[in-house]
Amino acid sequence: MVSESNPDVDDLPRETADVLLDEMMRIRAFDDAALEQFREGDVPGFLHLCHGHEASHAGMGVAMAPDDWLAVGGSRLHGQYLVKGVPMPEAMAEIYGKETGPNRGKGGSMHLADYDRHLYGHAATIGSGQNPAAGIALAQQMRETGNVVVSTIGDGGTSRGSFHTALVFAATWDLPVVYVIENNEFAISYDAENLPIEQLSDYGEPLDMPTESVDGSDPVAVHEAVSAAVDRARSGGGPTVIESRVTRMRGHFEGDKQQYRTETDADASEADPLTSFRDRLIEAGHITAAEYDDRYAEFEAKAREAVEFAQESDFPDSEVAYDDIYEEPLYGQEGGDR
Amino acid sequence: MTEKSITEALREALDEELQRDERVYVVGEDVGDFGGNFGETQGLQEKYGDKRVRDTPLSEIGITGHALGAAVGGMRPVAELQFADFAATAGDEMVNQIPKMGYISGGQFTLPMTVLAPSGAGIRSGAQHSQSVHAWMGNQPGFVVVTASTPYDAKGLLKSAIRDDNPVFFLPHKNLMGKKGEVPDEEYTLPLGEAAVERTGEDVTVVATQQMFHRAMEAAEQLAGDIDVEVVNPRTFAPLDTETIRESVRKTGRLVAVDETPLRYGTQGYIVSEVVSNDFFSFDAPPQTVGVEDTPIPFSPPLEDEVIPDTEEILAAIRRTF
Ligand SMILES: Cc1ncc(C[n+]2csc(CCOP(=O)(O)OP(=O)(O)O)c2C)c(N)n1
Repeated sequence: MVSESNPDVDDLPRETADVLLDEMMRIRAFDDAALEQFREGDVPGFLHLCHGHEASHAGMGVAMAPDDWLAVGGSRLHGQYLVKGVPMPEAMAEIYGKETGPNRGKGGSMHLADYDRHLYGHAATIGSGQNPAAGIALAQQMRETGNVVVSTIGDGGTSRGSFHTALVFAATWDLPVVYVIENNEFAISYDAENLPIEQLSDYGEPLDMPTESVDGSDPVAVHEAVSAAVDRARSGGGPTVIESRVTRMRGHFEGDKQQYRTETDADASEADPLTSFRDRLIEAGHITAAEYDDRYAEFEAKAREAVEFAQESDFPDSEVAYDDIYEEPLYGQEGGDR
Repeated sequence: MTEKSITEALREALDEELQRDERVYVVGEDVGDFGGNFGETQGLQEKYGDKRVRDTPLSEIGITGHALGAAVGGMRPVAELQFADFAATAGDEMVNQIPKMGYISGGQFTLPMTVLAPSGAGIRSGAQHSQSVHAWMGNQPGFVVVTASTPYDAKGLLKSAIRDDNPVFFLPHKNLMGKKGEVPDEEYTLPLGEAAVERTGEDVTVVATQQMFHRAMEAAEQLAGDIDVEVVNPRTFAPLDTETIRESVRKTGRLVAVDETPLRYGTQGYIVSEVVSNDFFSFDAPPQTVGVEDTPIPFSPPLEDEVIPDTEEILAAIRRTF
């Protein structure tokens, strides 16, 4: 099913509109700060930014209860970590590889995980996170926790067999899991238009799952669709596949020359979900332009503080490289009888 | 003590652990009514229901990948692959995901899961159903890799594997599933990560598991009175208890490492190098390795028998150290 029109912000409770906007601003401010630091040469490794995915991330994050699990996919990751509740300083520290990150520097931006916040993190071999998401959902079902799992993936990842296997297992066992496909039309350079499938949520149809394709640049639309799917999963209604159509405003990673992009789709700023949501809220009288600017400035300040926290944090001691390989002692070894 | 087959020993281990801990469940292709490829899950679904003994669609990616998530989510899955060779069809799960997630998370995730998968050659099933895979997975720090050589080992080690908080790749041998041996009637477990000195001797150390273990014991018997052979069974290949092996070589001064993995980058080389680099001056002779030459396992019985080391080859290797 395709949602043709975007839901009206007027129908949205004020608080929900506020949180959605806050989350979008938080993500943008965070990623802009990360970008600035990357340009300074401060951030190790690749940098994949979320510009254009903020509405999708905010919509799904706000639709989840704090104890629901998130297994992150695609490559636009930071925003998903943030909407799952990881504070900016901790997230930034992990991106810097510092010991104050949730993974103590062993994960980095592609693997940030936070057990206490029920963030599984990301399988950086794209498409390998969806079966673990089904397994986390199975554990919720068997242990009757009432929690749901949301698992994201990009358009690119949907071509892998592992993604389809996850759908088969989720459908076979009626698991409480929602698969959200963030279709930004690109898998690095490969254009999703080349795929013979019309909308990627249709991959759920042969398995008789509810499917929906929504405008992922509209946080309200994503929030509604994911909320409905989460509610259904929580009440025993099984899995859902949602396609969230978004725009990737920047290159795949920073430094991507994007020769594969045409001029029209290169001008992605028109599709900026943050400014368009801001304009809708101003038009609806929810917020004034000045209030928006003030709030945004607060998030920018918080992002700067996060950068300072990350910069001032220590790198892990080198011996830490040899920790966490095994839970020791092994079973039956001295002291290992559990 | 009662005589049981490895299949029966595995089934008892699963049964007792399903009984003991409700977080444990058994999951895989045909583990339900069908009772497992070798009969190792016979009757368990009837006893525990189809949620705790759970048939899956045909996908090793799904079996191992979901088990990883279920372990993170608080369960203790025993995920069965019909043949260990099929771990390759879940390559990313087995190599990149399961052994890495505990580490990547900085110790936040514990992964108390077991992949149970019969491994090895000798059942005349050709190259894609006959591999010894413990060298592949032993190469992935994070996986505990365990082999079972006897019914006693099979039961005690599988129970420990299920109770262990690490991902354990547990490898009984396909050609030993019917092999009988004494199994205690009372409850017991065996330690993971510890090699067992199965036969003491003064003259030469032979390290071997699974079929090769039985052939090494046979060789030791044949040489008795002439050469006094000590046989060490590593039981766990990763992490490897090199200390027990080194201690044995310090006593005997001679080492033969026998395994069904291919000689090229197999476990034999690692075992020898661990002893050579640490105890070089204990050696009275160059250490020897026995394994599969660099070939896939052929189907035709005489060909398969040709490439899998037999007792004669082990005897010859032992003699070369004198
Ligand atoms: C299995 C695998 N193949 C290839 C890659 C290299 N790679 C990283 S991201 C990516 C494209 C991902 O595209 P998509 O799934 O659409 O996510 P997006 O980047 O659009 O968020 C590729 C090919 C990978 N990480 N994993």
